[in-house]
Amino acid sequence: MSAQAALQPAARADLLSWLTTTDHKRIGILYLTTSLVYFGVAGLLAVAIRTQLSRPANTFVNAHTYAQLFTLHGTAMIFLFVAPFALGLANFLLPLQIGAPDMAFPRLNATSYWLFLFGGLIVFSGSATSEGAAANGWTSYAPLSEIKISTGLGEDLWIVGVFLVSVATILTAINFVTTVFVYRAPGMTMWRIPIFTWEMVATSLLIFMAFPALAADLLLLFVDRHLGGHAFDPAYGGSPILYQHLFWFFGHPEVYVMILPYFGVISEIIPVFSRKPIFGYTGLVLAAFAIAGLSMGVWAHHMFTTGAVDDPFFSFMSFLIAVPTGVKFFNWIGTMWRGSISFATPMLFSLGFLLNFLLGGITGVMVASPPIDFQAHQSYFIVAHMHYVLGGGSLFAIFAALFFWWPKMFGRKLNERLGKLCFWLLFIGFNITFLPMHVMGLEGMPRRVFTYPDTGHLALLNAIATSGSYVMVAGVLVFAWNVVVSAFDREPVGPDPWHANSLEWATSSPPPEYNFDRLPPIRSERPVFDARHPELRPDA
Amino acid sequence: MATATAQASLLAANWMLFAYVGLAVALVVWGLILFAALRWRRRESSSAPLPPQFRNNFALEIGWTVLPLALVCVLFVYTYRAEAGVEALVPDPSVTVAVNGYRWGWTFSYRDGPTVHGSFANPPELVLPRGETSRIVLTSSDVNHSFWIPAFLFKRDAIPGRVTAFDIDPTTTGSYTGHCAEFCGYDHALMGFRVKVVTPGEFGRWLKSPAT
Amino acid sequence: MTIGLRLFISSAVFSIVIAVAYWFVAHEPAGTFLLGFMAFALTFLAGYMIVAEREADLWGDDGRATSADAAGEVVGSYSISSPLPLWSAAALASIGLGLVVSPAFAAMGAIAALALGALFIVQSR
Repeated sequence: MSAQAALQPAARADLLSWLTTTDHKRIGILYLTTSLVYFGVAGLLAVAIRTQLSRPANTFVNAHTYAQLFTLHGTAMIFLFVAPFALGLANFLLPLQIGAPDMAFPRLNATSYWLFLFGGLIVFSGSATSEGAAANGWTSYAPLSEIKISTGLGEDLWIVGVFLVSVATILTAINFVTTVFVYRAPGMTMWRIPIFTWEMVATSLLIFMAFPALAADLLLLFVDRHLGGHAFDPAYGGSPILYQHLFWFFGHPEVYVMILPYFGVISEIIPVFSRKPIFGYTGLVLAAFAIAGLSMGVWAHHMFTTGAVDDPFFSFMSFLIAVPTGVKFFNWIGTMWRGSISFATPMLFSLGFLLNFLLGGITGVMVASPPIDFQAHQSYFIVAHMHYVLGGGSLFAIFAALFFWWPKMFGRKLNERLGKLCFWLLFIGFNITFLPMHVMGLEGMPRRVFTYPDTGHLALLNAIATSGSYVMVAGVLVFAWNVVVSAFDREPVGPDPWHANSLEWATSSPPPEYNFDRLPPIRSERPVFDARHPELRPDA
Repeated sequence: MATATAQASLLAANWMLFAYVGLAVALVVWGLILFAALRWRRRESSSAPLPPQFRNNFALEIGWTVLPLALVCVLFVYTYRAEAGVEALVPDPSVTVAVNGYRWGWTFSYRDGPTVHGSFANPPELVLPRGETSRIVLTSSDVNHSFWIPAFLFKRDAIPGRVTAFDIDPTTTGSYTGHCAEFCGYDHALMGFRVKVVTPGEFGRWLKSPAT
Repeated sequence: MTIGLRLFISSAVFSIVIAVAYWFVAHEPAGTFLLGFMAFALTFLAGYMIVAEREADLWGDDGRATSADAAGEVVGSYSISSPLPLWSAAALASIGLGLVVSPAFAAMGAIAALALGALFIVQSR
């Protein structure tokens, strides 16, 4: 398809052009940069949290500050980093992977980015108000978040900011689905699009179904706070349980929004560094949609301990999700099986993902059992679980993606030795931080506490966890140094430095404004591989 | 896992089942990942011929869908039974205590008995008789709290506007810590309580003169 | 029938099944409403796509096509840059801030939003 896109002169390199860009590649880079800044901030908040918890009865911060720390940490990591990073990555990659010149709605795409930026800033602006930022956790349960108790402006700014980010996310999902359905290059049938693209379609579907529930919940909370509503106030017939139903109807699919794109990243990287096609392409696609569909029906497993929901229904549905997730794991192992595996940094992070996420997934199946959840819920066991899937899983895939697609985005590779150092610091640091938390939870330490009694092994385990967090900081600093160092790397990178498979590797690094000079013939899910290996050419 | 109540025995059995199954799955899958990564690590140059380019194995793919499905169905049956046992309510409990959570403490009101107050400075103590069924009737008077006794492997949320009930059948005397497990504001971490399980005789004496 | 349509139809059917199953298992109104509304929305999407697809004829769906086949096809016109996104987002953020901080923000934001809406309509002609 040769779109009659206006062939403008080379994009102005000045800062102002970034403010009016509608180029999906630039918007993608804006998303990635902004979300990584939020990651840095949220990471510092986490270090502050871990420092406070390094010993019992610590006085590094007081309870009020601590509550803001964990609220902003969770909000930033979830709403402003893990999800937007995936959206940014997809922004950059999706049109390239399907052979399109841009997204279906470029101006809407840019609007989403700016809404995300402003929404995040508004959330954080709460820390400049007299009563401080929102301090009710990223879940902001009512009645705690009602105006009677959360009197400060911080909570309102949180509501507005998260609402704007939700709108941005929904608009981006619309763009993704339309682009993939309509703008595929000739020969790029749906069964030949890369797995990452499929995962983004599934993620977009989840966003459509889930985010409106959050928007409704936030609206109701706002009405309760300022317009005389009583949706969640039992004194007037409202129900705190309603807040939780609406929140988790969004909240559970949200965690799949935060992992499916990264399943896609892993599915792109493992084949390249195993020199084999992805194993079980169809199974991976069906599993993605099975996960997406089932995830809409499990939300109240976050509410098992209320006694207000039908536990067996949600428990059974939650167990079922383990099956397609397992299918994906076996497909990734099948891709490596009898391959030729090289341990470049993207592959190291992918292996780290597999090892970490497995533990997170297993503890997830455990807490899908209400009897187990009765102990684990809102304890450090659940903190361990969520960080293994989001940190050990998504975060590692994020680094894998950064190292893999950096040359495509910026025309130079990140330094390999620093990359490997970064991996080991993060892998070791991450596990030292979060593995002890399983035991901390079983020993009775609740979450969202600014201090804990000196009982059992809590003091020792917390000290170990805190030291692990400092190792993770070192890993992140090594990455930052890598970015600086590689900016001075003069070695140019061709279109396909990794000998990869999908269409983005058929164009220069970075791609020209209109993406492709020419497209190779597309006869499988790895057209660039096929072009390199005509002797293995699949039949049309 | 040492258990202090009849319910906790059922809960601990469920924990052990999942721990063993989870550990087995983890070892097998980690083993496969590490085996594949090490066994087939690249030893040749990248211009060497490609490894076999297979994409599917229908039997394997069906197998690793159906077998995990069967496994989770079995796990569900055990889970369902364990939960039903834990949440069962007897028609006539020996003791009934109304528990109220508030910012930031707990009140225990015994039917035909004393009312125990307490907060961080002086944590309230829930006294229960060993070997008899105590019914806890739980609610909150302000925001969501959660009544968690880690030694009993159990918690239940205290939700304003909702009254929820569960039974405890203590089997072992002793003193156990309790925590609030739902973030409820600044002193959430300081909303602890204690549970003291005593012999029925001691319990009877305590009911009459709770100050001791 | 394209894959996309099949996807939406299966999603719609799945959501209807889940919504009905949930009601009969749990009898819980909030969740049933959420699932039911989701089922309605997906069914609407599927229905819309069935109608929309009657006119669809994408080169992307032709497994044997090459870029030479589609050469010269005008897909649409792309704006390389535009001030609308930044200012629209600022207007919306302003309205949001206005709701919680000061009505002045909300007023500025609302006026800006109307102006941008008019500009967008004019630009699209």
